[in-house]
Amino acid sequence: MTISKERSVTATLAAATCTLLGTVPAPVDAQEEPKWDFNTSVLYYGEDGDRVQDASLKALIRRMFVDDRYLTLGITVDTLTGATPSGAIRQDGAQTFTRPSGNGSYVVPAGEHPLDDTFHDTRVALSANWTQPTGRAGLFDVGTSFSKEYDYTHLGVNARYAHDFNKRNTTLSAGISFSQDSVDPVGGSPRPLSEMLDVGDISNRSGSEDKDIIDVVVGITQVINPKLIVQANYSLSQSDGYLNNPYKVLSVVDPITGDTLARTPGIEGGPSGIFLFENRPDTRTQHSIYTQAKYYMGGKVLDVSYRYMTDDWEIDSHTVDLRYRWPLGSEKYLEPHLRFYTQSEAEFYRLSLPDPNDPNGAPLPAYASSDYRLGNFDAITAGLKYGWTTKNGNEMSVRLEWYRQTGTIPADQIIGNQANRDNYPDLNAVIAQFSYRFDL
Amino acid sequence: MKKVILLAGLVMAACAGCSSMGVEPWERDVLAREEMQLTTDPLEAATDDHIYFSKEASSGGRGFGGGGCGCN
Amino acid sequence: MGSPCELITEAGSRDRARDLARLVADEVWRIEDKFSRYRDDNIVHRINTAAGRGVEVDEETAGLLDFAVTLYELSDRKFDITSGVLRAVWRFDGSDRVPEPEAVRGILDKVGWDKVSWQRPVLTMPAGMEIDLGGIGKEYAADRAINLLRAAGAPPSLVNLGGDLAVSGPPSNRRAWKVAIEGDLEGSHDRLIELRQGALTTSGDARRYLLRKGVRYGHILDPTTGWPVPDAPRSVTVAADTCTQAGMISTMAMLRGQGAEQFLAEEGIQSWCRR
Repeated sequence: MTISKERSVTATLAAATCTLLGTVPAPVDAQEEPKWDFNTSVLYYGEDGDRVQDASLKALIRRMFVDDRYLTLGITVDTLTGATPSGAIRQDGAQTFTRPSGNGSYVVPAGEHPLDDTFHDTRVALSANWTQPTGRAGLFDVGTSFSKEYDYTHLGVNARYAHDFNKRNTTLSAGISFSQDSVDPVGGSPRPLSEMLDVGDISNRSGSEDKDIIDVVVGITQVINPKLIVQANYSLSQSDGYLNNPYKVLSVVDPITGDTLARTPGIEGGPSGIFLFENRPDTRTQHSIYTQAKYYMGGKVLDVSYRYMTDDWEIDSHTVDLRYRWPLGSEKYLEPHLRFYTQSEAEFYRLSLPDPNDPNGAPLPAYASSDYRLGNFDAITAGLKYGWTTKNGNEMSVRLEWYRQTGTIPADQIIGNQANRDNYPDLNAVIAQFSYRFDL
Repeated sequence: MKKVILLAGLVMAACAGCSSMGVEPWERDVLAREEMQLTTDPLEAATDDHIYFSKEASSGGRGFGGGGCGCN
Repeated sequence: MGSPCELITEAGSRDRARDLARLVADEVWRIEDKFSRYRDDNIVHRINTAAGRGVEVDEETAGLLDFAVTLYELSDRKFDITSGVLRAVWRFDGSDRVPEPEAVRGILDKVGWDKVSWQRPVLTMPAGMEIDLGGIGKEYAADRAINLLRAAGAPPSLVNLGGDLAVSGPPSNRRAWKVAIEGDLEGSHDRLIELRQGALTTSGDARRYLLRKGVRYGHILDPTTGWPVPDAPRSVTVAADTCTQAGMISTMAMLRGQGAEQFLAEEGIQSWCRR
């Protein structure tokens, strides 16, 4: 019979130590700092009324190296289904539209917001960032990002530097990013303000288009007292190139009744009315100021932020975001969340357009879009997040949120019968996300 | 536009005068907590940034979005 | 103790932190004064100058001697508190001054616990022999300090005596105490250990060694040969319930030389070796 040699020294030593110190110690709990940190989530985003639904898998993977340097890899996979407003206005009767590809048409039932359900897409986004301290008080971050979906490709680089002052109470940071995106619309990009044509006719289409975006951010973070920290950032974003949405149209309407001008579709099918593809300026300059404060109140944390944005499309927006983390013991927490958002419409936002062929009618504007995202609307998000620590010391959380957008059409844009209808495609969406963060 | 830049400049200058504010290194215990970091959950922040970028006309503010999309 | 010592504690006020620091410092200095071989007014001096006569020791010293006996037996007689006299011929200052074999042989007859008579509470040693509690003292002091802190109801604290450290519990504001284990170059750390409970000690020859003709002589001496243990790891870091246990295990691992890693694996110890 073999007597197990395992732990024989340790056991004897433990007993001898107890005798020496006169106490029984708690068992040791030590581990090497994990090199890998995984932050993963599954997300469901769903709008009501057969509109967009998105299921997404997201991961941020961090690999630590010596001296506080690390590599962060990001990967996101989204699958989108559902329909999105095409920009045309509702009518009392049914309407027909040609699909963006030009290879078919679809019918919108009487009285409904025209929604285009062509988009079933999978998008993959990747990012890589390298972060390292420089000197005693600096931090440097450089990275690259890439995303691909069937009609859109993005490629970008970014860099950021932060420096601590005043015993690390003040941090100044500056960052810059360059993006090169290209749009390759299904069926080709349409000539701006040209008509939506019959099925099979893509004579007004050309190829892919590009845009460049430069973003600059400067910020300051300041510790006010042991329980309060604040941050303020200023950002500038400059976009140049093709900024249109190639799939969005505007309805051309009668100047008195406000109803969409009728059109006879071709033999293979086509639009039942006159619709023009939108056009936006080919530059956009946005300024934002963002401020945030985090305040610790006896275990609970209040997070308040405000952002003001203004741009040369004459859109102004205000965002107020409130989060309140409420710990339940040391392993669980509840976090209610409220967000208020309001924006004014772009200067070229139009509900509908006048007939370009009417000699007595108003002239067509140079730029026009009825994309609801450039309109005048308020939005509110209300949600709740619940988080807990698992037995292995890893973190999990679930959150459920409701997002509601309600828009207003400027009164001077409403013509005739349009006043009888609710013309803004209000949005109601649910956001559900489950996250799991663990180390290896 | 000029007003915005001026306002931003004033905010920055006011904050730069904050050199006397703050805490000693040994008073940072609360500030070191995970829930007191400016971005507690980077995954949730990135998710929200993307959702609101797709549905609204404003974007970012906190930092970089990390990439555009053809979101419709 | 011969090395920097610190207390990190989450005391709510400056005064409380000062009181706790005083509590720890007083105990550590008490142990150092009582067991230091450099003083001429303590029990160790009386023992080392007894010239063959028996010395009656107090309870605390008796406890440490009993502990030393256990270590002597557990380590196959390689952990021996009478081996201190070897420092007369071995000076680990990074030079190449390795002693002559005759000098080592000469000292060796003054080394060996088997020559000592320990009948609690009386210790009798042949003249010329000495005991050196340096191999146990620091770890013992760290554990005593932690016990005092616990008894005083102190908040989570970490006691670090020159790299041998113990904690009284996990910190309240983050997951764990973070301890950096020194890398090969001064200042740059190679590993980071997260400690929530227990103790961490490191045995190593990073600073104390001799180098001659390309052969590196670590400072852990084998009392049965009088020479450094061959093929000992450059450093061994051990995590255990108490500083005393961690320190003794890391020393015993070093004493096994080539077999250090195997010993630690067989005993199921959480450890990090570097060669």
